[in-house]
Amino acid sequence: MSHPFVPKILVLATEKCAYPGADAVGKAHQEYPSNVYILRVPSPVLFPEDFFLGCYSKGIDGVLIAACGSDCPYHGAYDKLAARIDGLTSHMNAGGLEIERIRLTAICTVCIKAFLKEIAQMTDNLHRVGPVNRTLAEQLRRQSVQRLQAKAASAAFVPAMQGGLI
Amino acid sequence: MSSNEKVRTHQELEDDVCPCGEVAPEEEAHLQKEIAQAQDAGRAQHAAGAEPPLRIGVYICRCGGNISDVVDVERVAETVRLIPGVTTAKVHTFVCSDPGQHMISNDILEENLDRVVVASCTPFLHEQTFRGAVARGGMNPYLYEHVNIREQVSWAHKHDPEGATQKAIRMIAGAVGKLRYAQPLEQIKLPNHRRALVIGGGLAGMKAASDLSARGISVLLVETAQQLGGHLNQWGQVYPSERAAKEITAELAKRVQSDPRIEVLLSWKVAEVSGFIGNFKVAVESLYPLGGKQSRIEATVGAIIMATGFRPYVPRNGEFLFRTDPCVVTLPEFMQAMQGATPGATKFTFKGRTVRNVAFLHCVGSRQLDGVHQPDENGRLNTYCSRTCCTTILQQSLALHQRYPSVGIFDFYQDIRTYGRGEENYYTNASKAGVVFFRYNGEEPPRVKPTSPEHTSRGALTVTVKDTLTWGEELEVPVDMVVLGTGMIPGQIPDLIDQMKLATGEDGFLQEVHPKLRPVEVAVNGVLLAGTAQGPMNIQESLSAAGAAAVKAAAMFAKEDVELNPYVAEVDLSLCTGDAQCVTQCAYEGALHIVEMEVNGEVVPRAKVNAGLCVGCGACVAVCPHRAINLNGWRLDQYEAMVEGIAAELPGQACEPELVSIR
Repeated sequence: MSHPFVPKILVLATEKCAYPGADAVGKAHQEYPSNVYILRVPSPVLFPEDFFLGCYSKGIDGVLIAACGSDCPYHGAYDKLAARIDGLTSHMNAGGLEIERIRLTAICTVCIKAFLKEIAQMTDNLHRVGPVNRTLAEQLRRQSVQRLQAKAASAAFVPAMQGGLI
Repeated sequence: MSSNEKVRTHQELEDDVCPCGEVAPEEEAHLQKEIAQAQDAGRAQHAAGAEPPLRIGVYICRCGGNISDVVDVERVAETVRLIPGVTTAKVHTFVCSDPGQHMISNDILEENLDRVVVASCTPFLHEQTFRGAVARGGMNPYLYEHVNIREQVSWAHKHDPEGATQKAIRMIAGAVGKLRYAQPLEQIKLPNHRRALVIGGGLAGMKAASDLSARGISVLLVETAQQLGGHLNQWGQVYPSERAAKEITAELAKRVQSDPRIEVLLSWKVAEVSGFIGNFKVAVESLYPLGGKQSRIEATVGAIIMATGFRPYVPRNGEFLFRTDPCVVTLPEFMQAMQGATPGATKFTFKGRTVRNVAFLHCVGSRQLDGVHQPDENGRLNTYCSRTCCTTILQQSLALHQRYPSVGIFDFYQDIRTYGRGEENYYTNASKAGVVFFRYNGEEPPRVKPTSPEHTSRGALTVTVKDTLTWGEELEVPVDMVVLGTGMIPGQIPDLIDQMKLATGEDGFLQEVHPKLRPVEVAVNGVLLAGTAQGPMNIQESLSAAGAAAVKAAAMFAKEDVELNPYVAEVDLSLCTGDAQCVTQCAYEGALHIVEMEVNGEVVPRAKVNAGLCVGCGACVAVCPHRAINLNGWRLDQYEAMVEGIAAELPGQACEPELVSIR
């Protein structure tokens, strides 16, 4: 039995901007596909690369990071996030996982149209690339964890004391 | 993009709001050192005790049909009951109602629940409500999880009931998964400073200060002008009581200035504001040198009332010949002129001109239209109605008529908005007094020009209007004086808005959290709105808002402590190896550092969070290869469990065995 492909989209929505933005979409009774799941986050900067790859290995086809952009309430967090997503994208690219599955964008508390547009675009892109290769994603996730560990190990003796001993 | 434009453009909830609306949104302010101690104490309380098997209660709200008209809530309950660990799954029409909340606290006691999920509206409305219900049942409020199946399910997937139902089930499965990794947390308690700062000594500020004092709360009232009373000091009689405005302000000012609990600072301004509810640090500065005396005062206050008021709209030079012809004046200027007038005089002279006919123009600087009016220096049009000018114009017309019965009065309006109690009488009476009304279309406002030389004897000015009452006939009305019905524009407080992170609406006025449910509160906890800082209001409305703000502030002071959500980073010392990757990511001085500590008899470096300085951004979490650092309440394993709940097949359905793991 074969079903038409319905991509599962995860939206990581910032508590201050995009989550209320997604609420605004519902309040305006605007509709988007029901396979879009929204999780509230203080800032998506907290997620390591392997979290995203883990989402794909669990069967999420696309992840939309709906952040605050320049309205980010945390100092420097948005720039760090952007750099991390850059890194993730190049690792996905190198590993053969379609980069259409990840997108970083800014959604404000009243950005109803922007929210709907992002969902429509990601849905289109995912229809083009098809269901996620979960096995590949899991492989990349494990590589990513190893990379993180290796990075920490190589740096272990250098900055350990820089935080200042008390 | 800007977060300044939120609630007012939202669809108002109208009838579908829930019956109770008490919410306190999450606080994430910079915390003080005390927090760390408070947290450690809470941690110790919960350190002991082994993990019993989970007993999770799931409550699904119909929201009176808002949810259940789309989502098959009964099926959701039946399905989520199959998730391991869920022992109770119930549906209620309004979980936020008293019986609904009682059901939860009762079940916790009777069925020994140790985790609770409520699937209802957005967490911004009722997360705190249900945390309270859970706490009343004796459970730690952070073992509660909120699922939004209204704004983000039923309202967003109205035409896909099957999809909406499945989404609701998956979201609940995710929340149940998150709760498996939840830890009891203690709210961070900080002392609540029982003193309020009222910014602005106009009508609303005085009223708020006086009401707060009546409840035993001391107040610091800061006013930039040299006297209390604000704009009212310049006006004559005011509607609907027809009392002299000065009497009203004098009465309130006397009350405020003689009150030992209220400290009044005139010609002072609020220079700096930082901190958070219960603990705002403010600095006030004198506008003039005080000759040796201290001209800067720092204070700690628990609440701040914004009574910063409005500015009257001032027409641009040349707008309706304003500042070009001496007899084109604004409404406040006219009110001042009327104050000086002798009643019963036969001849009305203004700026040396004998005034036989006066034109009143409504909506000057209000209800502006794109393409018709010129935007201000910020590119903004005042599209809103200033609400008070219609009645004021009619009241002033009558005042003029009473003083100079022979003066002809012509009123040019697009709509007459005499909406308040008793205000319609002003319209009726003005009609009876012979005021002649012309109605114009907003896109074609009346024009004022000097009368052509051969007709100046009829009046120095001519108002031309396309009058819709006479089916669009273009009429020319010669007058000697034009009164511009100017409205209100936002007060100029950019520094305060910036420092206090206040939201403004598209109109530039300060914005409340919700126009119906939380009309005097702003998104920043502990800051309240009083009067026209929030938008055009008349005197009665300003006083009501100020009274409401005072009551809200007093309610906040009823608690000895301020409680904040403990969403800060925490290190798991059993996993930390002292790599210090996290430290490199932290942008907040002193929030995260490496300390030496003894583990198994060995002195080793380990990461340590200063909860008082951590803001809970989580930048540190992503880089730890051991997952030794996490944000309390938003742990990585909790997010992974949520994703698993969402991605897995529906509970109870046949599927690939390795994917079923909701656990």
